Amino acid sequence: MTIWKLRNNNPLRKSYVTNNIKPNEFDALIRIAVEMSKYLYPYIREILKSKEDIEENSVIWNDFNKRFIELIKERFNIDSMRVKKLLNQAENDEIIIKSLLILSFCISDQGYQKLKNFLYDF
Amino acid sequence: MQNKLSFHQSSASIEIIGLPDYSNNENKDQISIISQWKLTLVDKPLIEGKIEHLGPIMDAFYIYSNLLIKNEIPIYESKLIDIKADNLHIHNIVLKSSKPNVKPLVLKIGNSLLSDTLNCFDQLNESPKVRIKKTYIPTKIPKKLRLGLNEKVKFFNFLIPPFIAICSLILFSSSFIYFYSPFENIEKKELINPE
Repeated sequence: MTIWKLRNNNPLRKSYVTNNIKPNEFDALIRIAVEMSKYLYPYIREILKSKEDIEENSVIWNDFNKRFIELIKERFNIDSMRVKKLLNQAENDEIIIKSLLILSFCISDQGYQKLKNFLYDF
Repeated sequence: MQNKLSFHQSSASIEIIGLPDYSNNENKDQISIISQWKLTLVDKPLIEGKIEHLGPIMDAFYIYSNLLIKNEIPIYESKLIDIKADNLHIHNIVLKSSKPNVKPLVLKIGNSLLSDTLNCFDQLNESPKVRIKKTYIPTKIPKKLRLGLNEKVKFFNFLIPPFIAICSLILFSSSFIYFYSPFENIEKKELINPE
């Protein structure tokens, strides 16, 4: 339930609240992202691979991108400029690829620390 | 008899050959004195070398991957290895031999193989059975950041939710692949075009 509520801190969402995320909640979110990345690594890898050779594997990338955009339209405030950037297919490739790379680099036992450091360096 | 240890991740694997340091009372299955290592990438030539080459090559991969993510120009150059991005998806690696009259080995790897290789290196670094000199791993938060951590946490309240949201959407969309069945699509196409 707590994690469910934390979603509402995201200013890109259609409705959001401005409660500050506590450091332990921030850590918990990172741990969840890392554990999910470990579990989904084979799929993340396939999506990255599909973009390397778009002629052969375009179906995987197209399905992924389509679902990504569907979810953004469903949950995010599409009037926001930042969300518009995410929806723009010409611009969102780089954001998606870099996010996928960050997740794929953080699946080791020290993945939590690595992801935390990547975020501090942003 | 030398010990061999392998670390695998999808299309990449690294094999470490060496001996334990008995003067340090180490177990017989430990490797502290590395005599040889081999990095195997599917569909690419075998990369092997001595211990003095392993550290710089691992460093190069870690530094390059950090540059790639941080929106900086992803170029790494050294006496032993050069890595630069051809584009967002393909990376060009030049391995220079320390022996004279040996041409450099040029490899092109995609993001998937780059992340497999880094995950192999992570496994090697984290293995309690292999002791190597610590390479560049961004695990420690720099002093400057630590001092301003409280301000940072406040700043992260703006930054983290969108990042986590994008990641969760990506992870959620990734799981969507579970439902993709290429065979169904082929059948549908056959129904549309019965030829």
